[in-house]
Amino acid sequence: MVAFVSNGLLPAPKLDTTNSVKTATFQPNGLLGQKSSLLSTSILGVAVEKNLTYETDSCNPTVPHFAPNGLLSVTSKPPQYTISTELNSSSQDDDDLPPVSEAFGLPTMLLSEHALAPQPLSSSTASTSRFSVRATTFDGKTLFIRRKPKVSQDARRRISPTYNSQRIGNLLEVPIHRLMDDLSTVAAAKLADNRQPTASSSKSTEVEDTLWVDRYRPQRFTELMGNERVARETMAWVKQWDWCVFGSKKGKKRPKTGDENFNDDDEYHRPREKFLLLSGPPGLGKTTLAHVVARQAGYEVMEINASDARSGSIVDDRIRPALESGSAVGSDKPVLLIIDEIDGATGAGENSTSFIYKLVQLAYDRPHKKNRTGQNRGADKKRPILRPIICICNDINASSLAKLKPHAYQIRFSRPADIHTVKRLREVCEMEGLKADSRALTALVGIAKGDLRGCLNTLQFVKSRNEDVTESIIRKATTGMKEAETSLITVLNDLFSPMTKKRVKELALSEEEESKYVARLSREIDSSGRESSIALGCFAHYATLRQHDANFSRYEQANEWLVTFDMLSAEIYSHGDFALSAYLPFTLVPFYPLFQERGGQRVERNQADWDNMQLTKSNEEIYKSLARCLRTASTRLGGDFRHLLSTPTLQLEFAPLINRIISPPLRPVNSQIIKPVERAILTRLVSIMASLELRFFQERGEDGQLSYRLDPPVDVFITYDGKRAPDIPTSRYAVRHLVAGEIDALLITRDADIVEKGTRGKHDFFGKSSSFHKRPLDDPDDAAPNKRIKIDNRDIADKPPVDFFGRLITVPSTSSTKSALRKNIEKKYRVAYKFAEGNSAAVRKPVKFDTFL
Amino acid sequence: MSLWVDQFRPRTLDDLHYHQGLSARLKSLAASGDFPHMLFYGPSGAGKKTRITCTLRQLFGGGVEKLKIDQRIFLSPSKRKLEVNIVQSNFHIEITPSEAGNYDRVVIQELLKEIAQTQQVDLNAKQRFKVVIINEADSLSRDAQAALRRTMEKYMSNMRIILCANSTSRLIAPIKSRCLLMRVAAPSPGEMELVLKHVAKRATFTLPPEAAAKIIDDTGGNLRKAILVLEALKMQSPDLSGPLTIAKPDWETYCHKVADLIVGEQSPARVMEVRGKFYELLSHCIPPTIILKTVAERVVERVDESLKADIMHWAAFYEVRMRVGSKKIYHLEAWVVKVMSLYKHFFFDIDMSSFD
Repeated sequence: MVAFVSNGLLPAPKLDTTNSVKTATFQPNGLLGQKSSLLSTSILGVAVEKNLTYETDSCNPTVPHFAPNGLLSVTSKPPQYTISTELNSSSQDDDDLPPVSEAFGLPTMLLSEHALAPQPLSSSTASTSRFSVRATTFDGKTLFIRRKPKVSQDARRRISPTYNSQRIGNLLEVPIHRLMDDLSTVAAAKLADNRQPTASSSKSTEVEDTLWVDRYRPQRFTELMGNERVARETMAWVKQWDWCVFGSKKGKKRPKTGDENFNDDDEYHRPREKFLLLSGPPGLGKTTLAHVVARQAGYEVMEINASDARSGSIVDDRIRPALESGSAVGSDKPVLLIIDEIDGATGAGENSTSFIYKLVQLAYDRPHKKNRTGQNRGADKKRPILRPIICICNDINASSLAKLKPHAYQIRFSRPADIHTVKRLREVCEMEGLKADSRALTALVGIAKGDLRGCLNTLQFVKSRNEDVTESIIRKATTGMKEAETSLITVLNDLFSPMTKKRVKELALSEEEESKYVARLSREIDSSGRESSIALGCFAHYATLRQHDANFSRYEQANEWLVTFDMLSAEIYSHGDFALSAYLPFTLVPFYPLFQERGGQRVERNQADWDNMQLTKSNEEIYKSLARCLRTASTRLGGDFRHLLSTPTLQLEFAPLINRIISPPLRPVNSQIIKPVERAILTRLVSIMASLELRFFQERGEDGQLSYRLDPPVDVFITYDGKRAPDIPTSRYAVRHLVAGEIDALLITRDADIVEKGTRGKHDFFGKSSSFHKRPLDDPDDAAPNKRIKIDNRDIADKPPVDFFGRLITVPSTSSTKSALRKNIEKKYRVAYKFAEGNSAAVRKPVKFDTFL
Repeated sequence: MSLWVDQFRPRTLDDLHYHQGLSARLKSLAASGDFPHMLFYGPSGAGKKTRITCTLRQLFGGGVEKLKIDQRIFLSPSKRKLEVNIVQSNFHIEITPSEAGNYDRVVIQELLKEIAQTQQVDLNAKQRFKVVIINEADSLSRDAQAALRRTMEKYMSNMRIILCANSTSRLIAPIKSRCLLMRVAAPSPGEMELVLKHVAKRATFTLPPEAAAKIIDDTGGNLRKAILVLEALKMQSPDLSGPLTIAKPDWETYCHKVADLIVGEQSPARVMEVRGKFYELLSHCIPPTIILKTVAERVVERVDESLKADIMHWAAFYEVRMRVGSKKIYHLEAWVVKVMSLYKHFFFDIDMSSFD
């Protein structure tokens, strides 16, 4: 190609001097090379055919050469027009032709005999001799150069290249295919040359500046090492998306869920868990696995890691657009989102939770339109994501992940067997030409606790110093890695027990170093980052140790340190003075000299404090609801209870005593035959409970037994250690039933009273209605007896039907009693009493009417 | 129906049973026309709030008893919503800023300004000013108190403030100096008996003197508690005869149990047991300072004379630390261990010089 270009672009003076044939010969070549158009090439194709017909087999090679040209046709037509007109004009200018000899000085040398041979033939067949120009070559041969007939533009376009191309085939000394071949070989050679030095140089530099971790990162699924099950599970999950992402043709239909999931689960055929949560300690290859699997499954990876800001807005700004468009810019593969280090760098809880909240929301947004391709880019039409998301974290229990976990398919990474890690390390060492004995490598893996990345980094470090890998060098190189991972329990165990011999050996500590504990433990506590939990653990554990401590001096010291810790941390948090937090770990270190014991009890997670906190919270809720009750009561009664509301009074005085006030020792008898003394108590109890909004609710227990539950359950405040206060008898079911019925009745009359008052107030609006209203507010003393009398009056009538002996109907439905009551209230003052109803075996006995009142 | 505590609460200054001198002063102040800011302080259940309501009635008449109770929502600087319950009449408003926790300053600033900047519109009102009652004033944060002090002077023409506190020690001096201090002391046993008898009379029964004496003895000058106990007692055994067991609040009984545990044995196992009991008490929302105080008092009752001072000293010591710290259980246990250690040393007569 290049060769032709230069030909086509012959300098202008030369063009002028050369004859039209020559220009006509070369111009199309230039055309071919640079801007061969569809039209011209097709014509060229015709020309080739003509050549084939006229020429001998020497022309055959041209065919394959033109064919690729025809395929290359890309350029637009206009340039072709200009060139062709140029051609025409040059051929038209035959009047001004330079002397033939001059004109043919060069071309003849270029022309082969083969090319010349058919020329007369063609001219004779043209039989348009009057259009041709006669010319003579050096050796006296006569040539007829055909004059181009004046034709219309169209015809010209059709014809002229034909003639030109006829010559092309003949005028090339080296067939174009050969040139092309040469070119390609040159280009290839050049490329190879280029590549050679760059490749070699990059190789040589890579040795220096890429991390081994990157160099030996698995590129394919099959190269993954470690837990194969984990890799497979990840792959399986990603594959579950195939139906959704690639359509059903590619992914296998899931065996059984195929039909049931179609409608009720997800119309997009997404897997049930929209997220995949990979968790595990660092350096085991979580990120690598995610990337490899994604690539293997045919996705383009989009990664968001701790270096990106992660807030709710990021979800809207970056993630949603990427996932909605389905594929990354400039790529036809669907995108797969990897959120790396989702637990880390969350810091302020608000940010992280909003991020995760939004993320979860993203997955569960209901589509507004059925249109899956989402042509409608309407204002804020939210669509569910249809692309898999893989989240990666170290700590599965991070609080920020709590919201995500229910929606995620969780895969836990565990430390692969050391043998595998060692094997991989040895391979790497071999490739790098590092001598390593397996003992050293095993030790390395042991120290790194399976962290392959750490191992590789260490090895590279060793290699950079041109050393062989021996155990001692490993020890030296890994000094910083010792406390790589510290969980709460391990820290606590380290605090309460000395280091095991094995660990001492692993870390290659001397006797002296072993006895130094302050730096070691404080660093360990610090790196765990959960000082307060450790303090709590210490607090929970120290007293369980059965050590002889005659005068409690150690306990005293331990508590002193705990108190110091608490004060210091409270100070830090209340003033935001976090510079002081560097000192916090040191307040916990003293537990080591005080309580360390070889082979002592292992520390276990202690739930006592947590349980206590939960219990406190639930009790606080009950207090709150009690306070609410008091408040409504005080609203109704003109601010009566409000003085009992203040914080300590409520808990210390009101809560325990109200329980006693509302549980008088009533006998479970029928309210109709109750003694006057008890009647008074009952009335009072009912009115207090009603005004405080305390209720008995009927409930069926697990054993099917009916019981009445107090609501709000203020009786928890007299229950310590699961036992009720001994001086308050638990009221029996029958009593509670009686009280509940009375409360219902009272509430109904109260409602009725309000209605009544309202109507009365309307009637004599200017009369004494205001005084009626005022009285209960201003003077509850006066109002109370009134109410009581009223209750007494309708007592008999209002009771739900009971038999003569006052036997309680055991399972009365409260609603029916209520409706019965309501019916009775309408005829409020009528006493309805049937004597000797029911069992005929009743004992008859004269009774005074007073007993009923 | 209300409880006796409310039902038989005196409504006017004349109805009050004790501290007659105080009542007379309040009466004359209310009549004088230049009513000052006031600070009522005294132990719980002595009758501070009763006196405040009586004074208000004296000032404004029966209208103050028409109360409206509602909830106001304030926005903290960090845009958190704070709910505060407000009790108000046409003439006064009653707030408990400590409900808003650390943001009580916001409540004080917004609410007081709002009230202070509006004048009394009721032309029939006896006074030109409104009264703001601030409950639990001793738990006001320092910021809130600072916010209060200038408001008290600036809006004197429109508003009077009545503070109600258990002790003045936590109030800053500028506030104390702007108020007329009114100490409401706990009633003496005689006065309490008078009140209890009155209550019994109103409730139409007679109270045997023994029962009254027992109640008074048990409640230690807290009249509200005494009346609550009386009502509970009346409910439990309506005839008030025979051997009476005075209902003690359960947490108190429980605290006493804890004290007995501490005195009974000093061992790690006992420490754990006591810890469990403390957790139980804390989960019932009993304030840790009250727990410490009650247990300490009970322990002091039961130990030798020479130990009492030390035990109280350490109780005070750890109470201060507890107020600073956040994890109350540590401090409670630290005190327990300290007491056990003291007790052991005393028992085995070991040198105690290092524990001063």
